[in-house]
Amino acid sequence: MIYFDNGATTFPKPKTVVNAVNRAMLTGANPGRSGHQMSVRAGELLYQCRVDAARLFDFDKPENVVFTLNCTTALNTVIQGLLRGGGHAVISSLEHNAVLRPLEALRSRGVTYSIAGVEEGDSEQTVNNFRRALQPDTKLVVCTHASNVFGIRLPVERIAALCRIYHIPFCLDAAQSAGVFPISMRDSCIDYLCTAGHKGLYGPMGTGLLLVNSERLPHSLIQGGTGSLSAQRKMPDMLPDRYESGTPNLPGIAGLDAGIRFVSRQGIQGILRHELRLAQRLYDMLSVCDGVQLYTARPEADTHAPVVSFNVGNYDSEEVASVLNDRYGIAVRAGLHCAPLAHEYFGTQYRGTVRAVMSVFNNNAQVERLCEAINKISKKA
Amino acid sequence: MNHNLILFHSMTSVLKGREVLRRRGIASRVIRTPSQLRRGSCGYSLLINRRFDEALRLIEQENIPTAGVAAVDIS
Repeated sequence: MIYFDNGATTFPKPKTVVNAVNRAMLTGANPGRSGHQMSVRAGELLYQCRVDAARLFDFDKPENVVFTLNCTTALNTVIQGLLRGGGHAVISSLEHNAVLRPLEALRSRGVTYSIAGVEEGDSEQTVNNFRRALQPDTKLVVCTHASNVFGIRLPVERIAALCRIYHIPFCLDAAQSAGVFPISMRDSCIDYLCTAGHKGLYGPMGTGLLLVNSERLPHSLIQGGTGSLSAQRKMPDMLPDRYESGTPNLPGIAGLDAGIRFVSRQGIQGILRHELRLAQRLYDMLSVCDGVQLYTARPEADTHAPVVSFNVGNYDSEEVASVLNDRYGIAVRAGLHCAPLAHEYFGTQYRGTVRAVMSVFNNNAQVERLCEAINKISKKA
Repeated sequence: MNHNLILFHSMTSVLKGREVLRRRGIASRVIRTPSQLRRGSCGYSLLINRRFDEALRLIEQENIPTAGVAAVDIS
């Protein structure tokens, strides 16, 4: 199988990740609970992952690196945790349902939200749109670093800086960008960074991260045992315990740490260069293929993630993905990609798009195979 | 007996503390906080046999939350 569904989860995972998960399964005890050597070793493993994640995101507070189930859980912690008393939020026109649905659910509690339009290739206008969407009662701005459907990169550093001026917390959804774009918590005004562990960080599914760089701590969504301050009925305020009730996913986190180390060894700039080159090659080949519709400008590092979305003739996107799978052994994702807002932006909300997302394990030959297959499908359209 | 134990509330805090001390060349060991010092809570401690005062100062400078200090006889 040739795999381009890396926007859903990267595949394959590095061998070091698989080995780390196995090792944790064979040796791991419950971390942070007991005093025996195995438990302490497990706690050290978790802490090491916090340290490595903090280093990757240029963050000096490893204890503020919180493990979550995925990016969605991290985003829900911030959105629901900060807005449970009501208020207004601003999001971009390219958001995933992981942002949109929690806000929609909060409407019953009096939360409102505005959608700031993203102008592809025009950062100035995008930032202005965010500025105009702010209201006196705006309590949170959340936006994606790069669209999971079209790869369009948002000027998030500037949006975060704008929020800092107005003392509004800024939350970045880095599901598609962590491990692909450099992110510095130190140099930016990001208050909360949410990301998946199993995409560009090459960890196992069921892992995610929330980095908290703010004194404003969202309420915890779940409460329970943390292995700390157990005599106290209230949840501890200290991080990461406040958000980590219950037994953590030690094998997953062991794998995530191995994934983060893999990314660090490869170097984010090198990963971006490789993936972008492949995305550009795919884009260039598809752009001369009759009947193929592309939606964005050619992907470039400062404006796009290595994501290419397209359609073929009048085919439904799911049909194309199905033919790619059945006849050519190529895995892509089609449909709405859990991001109806982004599809409305390009008018593809009814047929969706076919999406190919690159990883470090893809190569030119695979891109060419995909283009050959699309060429054949388009000739039959 | 002089203090030789810094008490923490959580595994994350104790490991951060150990790392801070390690960077300054101060040896420490993570142990379960002795039951008589736990005051109904659970927790971990750093056992520090040399340069204790300096270690405590470093931990405080880093704003790592602690649950106090104690002297214990652990051989």
